[in-house]
Amino acid sequence: MTARRRQMKLGAFLWATGHHIAAWRHPQAHVMAGVDIEHYIQLARTAEAAKFDLIFCEDAAGVREANAGIASQTSRSIGFEPISLLAALAVQTNRIGLVATASTSYNEPYGLARAFSSLDQLSGGRAGWNLVTSASHIEAANFGSTGLRPHADRYERAREFAAVVEDLWRGTGDVAGRDHQGKSFSVRDPLDLPRSPQGAPVMVQAGASDEGRNLAARTADVVFTAAQTFEEAKAFYDDLKGRLAAYGREPDDIKIMPGVAPIVAATEAEARAKHEELQQLIPDDVGVALLSSYLSISDLWRYPIDGPLPELPASEGMQSRQALVIEQSRRDNLSIRDLARHFAGARGHWRVVGTPVQVADELQARFEGGAADGFNVMPSYFPGELDSFAALVVPELQRRGLFRKDYQGHTLREHLGLKRPM
Amino acid sequence: MRSSNYRGNGATMHLAVSLLPRRTSSEVPAAAGPDFSHLARFVQKAEAAGLDMVLLADSAPVAGSDAPNGQVPFEATTLLAALATVTDRIGLVAGASTVAHQPYNLARRFASLDIISHGRAGWNATIVPEPREAANFSRPQGFSRDDFRRRAEEFIDIVQGLWRGWDADALLFDKRGGRFFNPEKMHLLDHKGEYFSVRGPLNVARSPQDTPVLVMTGLSEPDIDIGARVADVILLDEQTAEPAKALHDDLKRRALACGRSPGALKVLMNVAPVIDGTGAQAEARGAEIAAGPEAVADGLEECFRSKACDGFNILMPPSALDDFVDLVLPELRRRGLLQSDYRNATLRSHLGLDPGDDQ
Repeated sequence: MTARRRQMKLGAFLWATGHHIAAWRHPQAHVMAGVDIEHYIQLARTAEAAKFDLIFCEDAAGVREANAGIASQTSRSIGFEPISLLAALAVQTNRIGLVATASTSYNEPYGLARAFSSLDQLSGGRAGWNLVTSASHIEAANFGSTGLRPHADRYERAREFAAVVEDLWRGTGDVAGRDHQGKSFSVRDPLDLPRSPQGAPVMVQAGASDEGRNLAARTADVVFTAAQTFEEAKAFYDDLKGRLAAYGREPDDIKIMPGVAPIVAATEAEARAKHEELQQLIPDDVGVALLSSYLSISDLWRYPIDGPLPELPASEGMQSRQALVIEQSRRDNLSIRDLARHFAGARGHWRVVGTPVQVADELQARFEGGAADGFNVMPSYFPGELDSFAALVVPELQRRGLFRKDYQGHTLREHLGLKRPM
Repeated sequence: MRSSNYRGNGATMHLAVSLLPRRTSSEVPAAAGPDFSHLARFVQKAEAAGLDMVLLADSAPVAGSDAPNGQVPFEATTLLAALATVTDRIGLVAGASTVAHQPYNLARRFASLDIISHGRAGWNATIVPEPREAANFSRPQGFSRDDFRRRAEEFIDIVQGLWRGWDADALLFDKRGGRFFNPEKMHLLDHKGEYFSVRGPLNVARSPQDTPVLVMTGLSEPDIDIGARVADVILLDEQTAEPAKALHDDLKRRALACGRSPGALKVLMNVAPVIDGTGAQAEARGAEIAAGPEAVADGLEECFRSKACDGFNILMPPSALDDFVDLVLPELRRRGLLQSDYRNATLRSHLGLDPGDDQ
């Protein structure tokens, strides 16, 4: 009897018209994705037919870009709110996991726990919550006049928030009220919904700062991350798995799924042409604006677009992503325009361009090299590039025994090989 | 017979039904509560009967109580999203609390539901404080009644303002020209008030029905001006025609004073008929009004013809809906009191709230 081969986890990361900033302009992108629920139902069914572990919706409680002129050249200012979107998809699918992003800064734990419990009930135990602390000033302005909280404060609040939500999920139904009185929250009663069919919804996180990693090590079941190189991915993987013991957890209790932005075609030349076609559709001011938001500075446009990135002050925004961008610019000696196009395309995630065999090779190398438990797949545009990955790469991974040919379980925890919480 | 001039003012009655499973209901296992398919069948039945909308109650903080949805294992807005995918015409209205949500999040959730349902969503905003809710949403000190009211009014104004942040023709989808939307047709809210500060805009497109429908319940005297100014539909708990008519007339007068057409506000009476098809009892919130399907229809017709209301919200457990649909509705239809079918696709059109409907 041979040991069963470890298989990778796959998420289908659904976002607007596609992950490429210029996706919406592509002739084969569905430009009305953000107002078309049938489009999303079709995407979910495509991902389910390909046996993806989950679909994932990111979120921000505000528009992405404060400058309306720049925003108007992208498709990202409008879309569905993810909890309502996934609740609709829950009853139009049968097996695939449903992970929605929601902020600990602009919600209350009782309400959030309740919404995700409901999503879990509607889906028969396929829900997950991606915890974010929300680093954008645009979002902060929709929730009061005090502005964005400092990074450490956001994480302090997030820790308490996550602990209350877990208690509510696990104490649901027959346990007496917990009467939490904490620094940020007070909660008196247990949830008024039944216990989750999978024990508790799956906890997902993506923050890669030191505090983010500790919070993930303490509470997360799944971690999404951005890593350009194998070495970065491996270092993150080892670091996070190494932190688990301190919280009484085992390495396999967390599944680490880096983002991958694949562009796949039958030949390498076709794949490269496909990528270049998208890159050409990016307006300079959109690229620079997107790069600015990742660097949490507002005046990047003041610098010569063909010159290097200026020295940057420390940021209250996404610290770990900022470090990634700066490191890449210094390493490859890139201009602001180069960087803008590069990051606008893949948003700091790992871009793989090639044939199904080449893409599968790259995924296999990171998976078997101990840098990933799976991948969060970020198609460049929808529906075409999700279809391509499902039709071309998934069968190649299945042929190699690296990915399931059918679902074995029914809940998201079962797909991911996670323990059912007590 | 066409019903349009039956009442002189050209109106047929609007009918809503509240999803109100009861603990005592024997059809449903008490431990698990009704599953989704059970609730879907209820709503599909209401849709097949041509009702304007289903109201889904929500009750966050009342674990173990016998509150209306104590048995429904779903939060109302998520349930609404799921129901939207298994129905085509009927309006879907969810309760959601101004304590449990931030206005930006609530506006977004309902704007999204409205697009998911192709313009059939509504928000039932209660402005009655629920102390147990405050205790679970980090407000252990609660709110004074007046504080709660002022906060709720500001909350509702923000939500409706956010719903109007994108003009209906703002999205251009112009791939070649690189113009996804027209930035001049996107508007910041820039609200700075006593309780909230919200810049906007919403990151959800304009509703297919202009804005989600705003339903209000539980209005007490000091709330009436708010309801008359902002609500699309107001539900009354008055049990008989006379006090209902007084309140109905008062609401319409005040709506007019706010510069609204009286027809832009629909007033429905909550009624809880009990019908067993064999001439049993019917009641409105405990007060017996009639017996048997014809008599139930008589009671509704009398209220409606006396212009005490624009229609009714029927409170009943799923098990009783069949009798109402199979026995009472045909009688109302025979009398020309109901629209024969959905005229259009949106909840606003069902309710006669499209621009020009009341002219």
